[in-house]
Amino acid sequence: MMRPGQVLVLNTTAKRETGYQAQLRNINVGRETANVIRTCLGPRAMLKMILNAMGSILITNDGNSILREIDVTHPAARTIIQLSRSQDEEVGDGTTSVIVLAGEVLSVSQELLEKKLHPTIICGSYQRGLQAALHVCNLISRKIDTDNKEEMFSLLRTTLGTKFASEWMDMMCKLAYEAVRKVTVRRKDRTDAPAEIDLKRYAKVEKIPGGSESQSEVLDGVMMNKDPTHPKMRRKIENPRIILLDCPLEYKKGESQTNAVITNENDWEAMLRAEEEEVKQMCDKIIALKPDIVITEKGLSDLASHYFLQANITSIRRIRKTDNNRIARATGATIVHRPEELKEADIGTECGLFEVRKIGDDYFSYFVQCKDPKACSIILRGASKDVLNEIERNLQDAMCVARNIMVNPRLLPGGGATEMAIAAYLAKTAAEEEGVAQWPRQSLSTAFEIIPKTLIENCGANIIRTITELRAKHHEMWTKVSGKEPLKEDQPLWGINGNTGEIVDIRKTEIWEPFSVKTQTFKSAIDSACMLLRIDDIVSGVKKKAGDGEQHEPTEAELEEMAE
Amino acid sequence: MSVKSFEIRQANTTAIVAIRNIMKSSFGPEGLDKMIVNDVGDVNITNDGATILAQLEIQHPAAKLLVELATQQDMQVGDGTTSVVLYTAEMLANAMKLMEHQRIHPTLIILGYKRALRFAMHYLKENLTIPVNQLGADALMNIARTSLSSKLVSADLDHFAKICVDSIQAVKTEGKITKKVKYPVKNINILKAHGGTMNDSTVVPGICLNYTRAAQGMPRTVKDAKIALLDFSLQKYRLRMGIQVEITDPKKLEAVREQEVAEVRNRVQLVLSSGANVVLVSGGIDDLCLKYFVESNAIGVRRVRRAELEAVAKATGGNVVTSLADLDGKESFDASNLGHAKEVSEERVADDDAIFIKNPAKTSAVSILLRGPSDYALDEMERSLNDALHALSATLESDSVVVGGGAVDGALNIAVEEWAKSIGSREQIAAMQWANSLLTIPKTLALNAAQDSTEMIAMLRAEHGKSQNDENSKDLKYSGMDLKNGTVTNNLVRGVLEPAAVKITALQLATNAAATILRVDDHIQVEDRDPQAQ
Repeated sequence: MMRPGQVLVLNTTAKRETGYQAQLRNINVGRETANVIRTCLGPRAMLKMILNAMGSILITNDGNSILREIDVTHPAARTIIQLSRSQDEEVGDGTTSVIVLAGEVLSVSQELLEKKLHPTIICGSYQRGLQAALHVCNLISRKIDTDNKEEMFSLLRTTLGTKFASEWMDMMCKLAYEAVRKVTVRRKDRTDAPAEIDLKRYAKVEKIPGGSESQSEVLDGVMMNKDPTHPKMRRKIENPRIILLDCPLEYKKGESQTNAVITNENDWEAMLRAEEEEVKQMCDKIIALKPDIVITEKGLSDLASHYFLQANITSIRRIRKTDNNRIARATGATIVHRPEELKEADIGTECGLFEVRKIGDDYFSYFVQCKDPKACSIILRGASKDVLNEIERNLQDAMCVARNIMVNPRLLPGGGATEMAIAAYLAKTAAEEEGVAQWPRQSLSTAFEIIPKTLIENCGANIIRTITELRAKHHEMWTKVSGKEPLKEDQPLWGINGNTGEIVDIRKTEIWEPFSVKTQTFKSAIDSACMLLRIDDIVSGVKKKAGDGEQHEPTEAELEEMAE
Repeated sequence: MSVKSFEIRQANTTAIVAIRNIMKSSFGPEGLDKMIVNDVGDVNITNDGATILAQLEIQHPAAKLLVELATQQDMQVGDGTTSVVLYTAEMLANAMKLMEHQRIHPTLIILGYKRALRFAMHYLKENLTIPVNQLGADALMNIARTSLSSKLVSADLDHFAKICVDSIQAVKTEGKITKKVKYPVKNINILKAHGGTMNDSTVVPGICLNYTRAAQGMPRTVKDAKIALLDFSLQKYRLRMGIQVEITDPKKLEAVREQEVAEVRNRVQLVLSSGANVVLVSGGIDDLCLKYFVESNAIGVRRVRRAELEAVAKATGGNVVTSLADLDGKESFDASNLGHAKEVSEERVADDDAIFIKNPAKTSAVSILLRGPSDYALDEMERSLNDALHALSATLESDSVVVGGGAVDGALNIAVEEWAKSIGSREQIAAMQWANSLLTIPKTLALNAAQDSTEMIAMLRAEHGKSQNDENSKDLKYSGMDLKNGTVTNNLVRGVLEPAAVKITALQLATNAAATILRVDDHIQVEDRDPQAQ
């Protein structure tokens, strides 16, 4: 009941947190989320085992995969977790670093808020700090030749070094490198920048449990888990002519509901024959082109199968649309919608060998030895499904790294060296900020140190001793160089050896990471930390209203308005 | 005045002040954001007054009234919602003081407020507005900057201000009959793709639809596009449920099937033979029809939302066709239904493909592609840009601006106070309070920026007092607050500008809202009638 004089404005169930309280909550949530996956960073990373509500197990150290499974309620945590997702989509790696960094940026801000610094001042300073950090990245980056296999391998090794698959490192590097090279389409006019690298559509990972990991390979072509429709069909064809269809090769009833009332015995037979005739006509049109293999996305009746067998054609049915696209790209065939429209040009001839192989208990169709595949399948073998899933995630990361490098062939030092260089630079240039904005600049400098700190912590070395020494080395570096021109090739870049915790020169140990991954990490982490810091009021438990869709998509609402 | 009615007014005022207190801290360039979570767990992070009000589930009737008025502001000028709330709350609070301490009847207060408003509007239009063409090229950038400065994107103001100015100028259209130049914000389509950083956001030309071509064999680009907009499916014709075809001759079965295909083939060919080379369909397109599109080098897009079809129709001068049936009972497709555009193409946007309709015949259209770390950030960026775009379009359409940063409020405060002295009745006191209420804007601005609000307001008033009394210091009328340094400066020079329309509507709406709420003297809650009880 309402007390007299009390005025209810909001829904009684709504909860509200305001001012410092709200900011503190957001900061804590950010820090806690980061803590969940902090141990997953670096070559001494630990795995997490996650049991989801369905009871299935996920074993991984991939930041995005862990956070995706965790059920969080606090809205700020969701924002943080989404960071990891967009990082994954944008560059495919660095999903753990981005969370750890964002958490730390929030965490160092707490002290600033306690000093009663205004969040807009803090955010402004952070954004300028980000620009400075990107400037440093430009200074210390170096170019890489994407055609140089050795260099690419050493780069991929850094990415995979932190993963479960590190035991089969060389093999994984090879897989990732080859797969990406295969699907790269180079532009005609410029040879250095690839026009398109579509890993999602054209590099398919096929996981086959059993065998040993070393049996994994990248095919110069495509394979899929399908068997010809009839066991007697040819199972090995050299230089096959391939026809790809996306229509059914069977009798299809009309859309309208049709009842046939038959009074005459012959009519019944005529009807059946009409159905058969239909299939035969379709097959004849295909057979006329003398293909060796016919593949369709839809069904293929036994009758059609029979005609093909007679014409010595191997047929495969019900393949996925995506598989069909890949085969089309690898073999040079065009997917045809209706058999009547088949032309000689639609036939794929660039495949060197078609073969059905039996692995374990399953039959697999291989289209290999393609001339210039531009699409490929990667076969992963491993002991169990869980292991395979983890290897696949690692391989995805490595492929993304390889792709990023192809698109932007620049590297930044790993092992915390980039972060330390930025931290030292930010501290050095803090005086350039006006008045109180110097504090956030200093704090941001501290925040960047979290990456080397975590690396040291995860391999069990002495954090304080190592980090102070590293800091000293970087400060010394910035006193020597101008901070305007790129660093010289012989300038050592000090970082952490994630296995031993020792300070090493990254130029000697060759731990490099792609430029785009690193810079995207910094951008996302700081952008979203700023967004959370700017919040001073959390209202939760507000009921979702019927017309709420408009709130989320104003463009749609606008379009509808326009329609009226 | 009975005790009861006084209590009602007090309760209403308390409710509105409560709303004000929620909104207050999001106001101005140093304002902060709100995080609103609904019971499903969806998060909204926003600084936009209209969004905050709409998301909060406000139950109090008087507060609801305020929300409605603030929404009005959002619909009319698209910006300045928070200002309306601040003004209204302050006007009510001041009115309460008058009733409590000086026993002035609410109707007198309302009258005083309204007269003050009338004078203020007059004064504002005469003395404080500046025509845009006097300001030079930077004016638009400055307006966009002022509107965006309070938002999430403030870290890189110039970039976003430029996006807004570029896109609003691209959609300039001239009315056919009225010859009036319009800048419809609706023609700017905002696309969101997470990833990248906020600075990677760009303007892309043309209307953008988030679909792909129905078949890869279709061309990627079509020049001199003739666009057919169909609000039905191009699928095999099927009879309605429950209708059965009975045949006696088995050969007829085949004929039924043939007819089904022929029906749709006929339709496709009707459309294509009219010259259409881009076909947007709200339903599906059967695979068997794709061939005809590919053959005639046309782009077909399926499952386009009806609203989008309408938008394209408007921009390209086409008609959305719901059926091909004509008056003769046959089917036909008239070429006059086609929309026109210079080019239609499929392009890659971030990680997806999208269809762009470039240079449509009727109206120009652009799309803004936003990038950012998460969906929440993108949503908020979209709202911020929307506000700025509205502010720009309001300026361009009305052609006049005022100086921001509390300058108008300071000037009006002094002017109304001065004028009020000439009223020889109790309304004078009300008009004085109205003038006083205006100061809530500079006060909140200063408070949010953690500056000494009392002192800053004193400085502001002093400057405006001087400008209105001293012929030589007219320029001081543009004095507003510089929140960073805690001083009062010439904000015209600093480029803090906002459209006059926003300020005018805000003051009018707020005064009306205050008047409406003051007029209420009783609150009767009608119980839900329980049908079972009888």
